[in-house]
Amino acid sequence: MRSLRYLSAILLFVAVSCSPVKKSTLTEVKHDDKALEWESPFSKDFDKAMFKASLDVRGKHLSGIALIKKTSDTSFHFSFANEIGMTYFDLELWKDSYRCDYVFGPLNKKAFLNILQHDFRILLFTGSFCGNPSHYKDPVTLDNIYFYSASSLFAYFNKENGKLTRLAGWSNLLDAVLIGLEYTQGPFPSGINIMNPRIGMLLDLNLLGR
Amino acid sequence: MNKIGLFCLFAFCVCLTFRSSGQVKALSSADAEMVKKSIAEAAKSTVSLESAFIQTKELSVIKEQIVSKGTFYLKKNRLLRWEYTYPFAYLIIYNNDRIYVKDEDKENHISLQSNKVFREVNNILVGAVQGTLLQDTKNFQCSIFDQHDQFRALLIPVNEKLRGSISEITLFFSKSDYTVGTLVMREASGDYTRIEFMSKKINQNIPDEKFAIP
Repeated sequence: MRSLRYLSAILLFVAVSCSPVKKSTLTEVKHDDKALEWESPFSKDFDKAMFKASLDVRGKHLSGIALIKKTSDTSFHFSFANEIGMTYFDLELWKDSYRCDYVFGPLNKKAFLNILQHDFRILLFTGSFCGNPSHYKDPVTLDNIYFYSASSLFAYFNKENGKLTRLAGWSNLLDAVLIGLEYTQGPFPSGINIMNPRIGMLLDLNLLGR
Repeated sequence: MNKIGLFCLFAFCVCLTFRSSGQVKALSSADAEMVKKSIAEAAKSTVSLESAFIQTKELSVIKEQIVSKGTFYLKKNRLLRWEYTYPFAYLIIYNNDRIYVKDEDKENHISLQSNKVFREVNNILVGAVQGTLLQDTKNFQCSIFDQHDQFRALLIPVNEKLRGSISEITLFFSKSDYTVGTLVMREASGDYTRIEFMSKKINQNIPDEKFAIP
């Protein structure tokens, strides 16, 4: 029991000391009239989107085409196949759970799939409904940053157009996730990159069509 | 004959036509061997092959399709250029034991000896297009069917490891020249990829530079 307490304390220390964003580098906005209301770009009228995709994980490089499709009001499907058409993996995602319909043998690692599904659930199911946020500003870009303590999530918004540009949170107790969103035209991101620094995973998604 | 009688006769004829056009007949082992021999002979006399292709990946669970297009070049021996032009540019060159991949600006060199997945994919692609997979009894169980104006070869992987990713490969050969017109690769996941070859150019000069690895 005692050792379990020590272990929990160590894990908590690691988690706090390795926060994906250091709050001390941000400027806090103390008197906030009204917090921004926002939703994931994959909510509301989103149906499906096809991306050119590349995944780098532990020195392995995979590329191909990925498809994200809204399969119901509460679920999404994420499929990733190589250029020749062979499926790498096929995940069904809900807000609090997921199901792996298929995974290509060498990628069938529980830890990897857990991180991946968690990253996608952050991307697909976040919004201002995550709780009451603390408001910060980036001292350089002056972009607005909201921190949701209940889910340990930072959400960045462009100061000019108000678009969601970055999400930073945790995939698990030890690994942070940084999700960048780029826009070339319209309200839907043309590029998304998902990075887990600790396991060395980088997933790049470039929009091909909707 | 009244109107109802005429309608029934018409409906019967339509049914008969559809039935005969879609008729599939499994060939006896002797006939299957004859077809395999003809395909092998056609492959033997094919020094080079250039073909446009349309690839359709069917995602079975969500009932969606991903369509890609490009051109395919094959030259004896073991030279293959697989060039996608849609929905984005992507190039794979197999030159004997070396593989070159160009993904927009990114270039990658891979050794076929060290990469098992690429080696398997290469063997399947080359073997499927040349028809030599039909002779590969070590890895596939092959059945041949007579289907309208084509022969359909159904290949079931015998190798358990291969069966973990591919459940079956179907090749459609033209009865006129015994070359592959369509390749369907069905995965263990239930998804399948259909590659249709068109505007085929057989034994026309393809410069070696097409297969050169920079």
